[in-house]
Amino acid sequence: MVAAKGLILKDGARVAIIGGGPAGSFFSIFASRLAQDLGKSLDVTIYERKTFDKQGAAGCNMCAGVISESLVQSLALEGINLPSSVVQSGIDSYYFHTLNGSIQIKSSRLQQRGIATIFRGGGPLGSHKNAIQSFDEFLLQKSVEDGVTVKHIMVDDINLEGDKPMLYSGGKILQDCDLLVGAFGIKANTAKNFEKLGIGYKIPSTIKATQSEIELGSDWITKRFGHSIHIFLLRIPGVKFVSVIPKGNFITISLLAKEPNINYIKDFLGHPVMKKMLPPGFKAPEKFCHCFPRINISAAKKPFANRLVFIGDASSARLYKDGIGSAYITSKAAVHTALLQGVGEEDFKKHYLPVCKTLNRDNIFGQFLFFLNDLISCVSPLSKSHFKMIQWEQNCLQKDSHYSDILWDMFTGSRFYKDVFLRTLNPWPIIHHWVQLLHLP
Amino acid sequence: MSEDGLLGRLYKNGEIIVEEGTRSRTMYVIQSGKVNVVKNEGGMETILASLGEGDIFGEMSLFDASPRSATVKAIGETRVLVIEHEGLLKKIKMDPTLAFRIIKQMSQRIRDLNSRLSAAQRTINQANNILQQLNKNKDISIEDLDTNLHSE
Repeated sequence: MVAAKGLILKDGARVAIIGGGPAGSFFSIFASRLAQDLGKSLDVTIYERKTFDKQGAAGCNMCAGVISESLVQSLALEGINLPSSVVQSGIDSYYFHTLNGSIQIKSSRLQQRGIATIFRGGGPLGSHKNAIQSFDEFLLQKSVEDGVTVKHIMVDDINLEGDKPMLYSGGKILQDCDLLVGAFGIKANTAKNFEKLGIGYKIPSTIKATQSEIELGSDWITKRFGHSIHIFLLRIPGVKFVSVIPKGNFITISLLAKEPNINYIKDFLGHPVMKKMLPPGFKAPEKFCHCFPRINISAAKKPFANRLVFIGDASSARLYKDGIGSAYITSKAAVHTALLQGVGEEDFKKHYLPVCKTLNRDNIFGQFLFFLNDLISCVSPLSKSHFKMIQWEQNCLQKDSHYSDILWDMFTGSRFYKDVFLRTLNPWPIIHHWVQLLHLP
Repeated sequence: MSEDGLLGRLYKNGEIIVEEGTRSRTMYVIQSGKVNVVKNEGGMETILASLGEGDIFGEMSLFDASPRSATVKAIGETRVLVIEHEGLLKKIKMDPTLAFRIIKQMSQRIRDLNSRLSAAQRTINQANNILQQLNKNKDISIEDLDTNLHSE
C-alpha cells in the first residue's frame, strides 16, 4: 500500500471502530467531541459483537478492572465522572504482604479514594443480577449520548477497495470507511483480518494471567480488605505476584505466574498469609468465575496505514499496569492525528507513532523496575531492610515518603515508569533514609 | 447509593474545602453533593456561585499562584475528587485538549459574571434614577412649602 498525503476527514466522514471496549469508546467519544469543536459532523459506528451486561465470561472483557488514579482524574476532567453503580470500590491505599509482614501504603500526594475498581462485564457468575453496572457498557452509553451508533454485529472480513477499507459480515457489505479504527484488544482472529491486508500490521505478543472472582460478601471485604488493593509478594514458586482487588461482594484475584493455571489460585487461597484474610472456615468453592486474560508484553508492529489506525491493546499498552489508561492515551493521540492532521499513513507516522513509542520505551523502564522488585522480594536481607524503611516512612507520616511513593506509583500505574525510575536514582533521599534507618532502635 | 463505590474526599455539611486567602494549587471536581462559592467582605458573606455534580472549582490556582480568591463550602455531604497540580500540568503538556473543559467552564463563568455585572449595573442605574427623582421631588416640595408660607 502506498502512503498517501492529503487524506483528511471531511464533514460527514464515515468512521468505523472495531471493538467496543474502552479504547473504542474513548476514540468514538473524543472524535465526536473534537469534530463538534471543529464544526464538523462525523458518522461514527462501533462494531461490537458482545453486550457487556451479561454475567461471566460471555459479557466480560477480562481484565483486573482497576482504573488508575491518573485516569480517574483525566476522565473527570473530560466530564466522564464514574458513578457509584460502576465503581465497585474507591481505593485509597495499597497493602503489601510479604513474608516479613504486611504494610499499608498511602499516597503522600493526595489523601483520597482516587482509584476505582470496576467490572468490565455484568459481574461474576452468581452475582446479583442488575446490581453491577459494567464499565464497558457505561462507556458505550456515553458514546451513544455523543451521537455514536453501536452495532452488535461481528465484522468477519475486511478488504481494501480503492483507497478505502470495506467491512463485511457473513458475506454482506456493512460499510466503507474514511477511517477504520482497530480497537479489538488482542483478539487473534480479528487481528488476522488486518494482518492479511499486507499493511505491515502485526498484533502484539502476549502472556496469559490467571484471574478469578471469589464471593466473600461486602461486609467481610470492607472489614478485612478495606478500601485497599492487596499485593502479595510471597515467593510462591512460579508466581511473580498476586493482587487481590475488592469489588463489592467479590474479590478479584489476579495472578501472574509462569503459566496460566487455576490451581495457583487454589494454592494461593490456602497460603497462611491469605488464609488470615479469609472468613473463618472458608473453603474455596468447587466452581468459581475464572479466566485467563491475555496481557501485552510487546507492542504491535506498524499500528497504522492509510485510513487505518490501531489503538489500545491492539497497538501499545503499559507493562502489567493501567491497560485502560493506555487505551485512553492511544485513542486520544489517534483522534488528534485523524482530526487535526489527517488520516494518511504519513500523518499517523509523524503524529501518532511517537506516542506509541513513548509507551513502548517507558515499558523498558517498567521491566527494569519489576526486575528490581523481584530481586528485592527474593533476597531476604534486602527485602527486610526495604520493608523496615517503608514501615518507618508510613509510621512517621513523612511528607517526603520517597520509597513509599516509588512503590505507589509503580504498582498503581499513576506515573510513567521512566519518571519512577529516575526517582530511584536520586541519591539524597536514599542516603537520608539509610541514615535515618541506622538510627532506628 | 453504595458508599464503597464513591470516589474522592468526603466533606460534611458546612465544612470548608477551600479557604479564601490560603495558597494551594489543587483543583477539584464534584463527584456527589453541592458546594457554595462564597466571598467574605467586612463580615458579610456573599454567595458567588452554587456548584453541583461534575462541576470543577479551584481551577484559577492552576494558572496563577495567587492565594485562593474565595471560600468553597460543602452543602450537605459532598464528595470531591482532588486533582493534583503537577500531574495535571504534565497531562496538559501531553494533551492540550484536556484543558478545553477547564477553559470552557471558566469561559461560562466569565459569561455568568458579565451578565450578573450588567444586571447589577442596571440596578445601580435604576437606584440612581430613583434617587435623582426623589431629590427633584424634595426640591419641588420645599419650593411649594416656601411659596405657601410666603403667601400666608
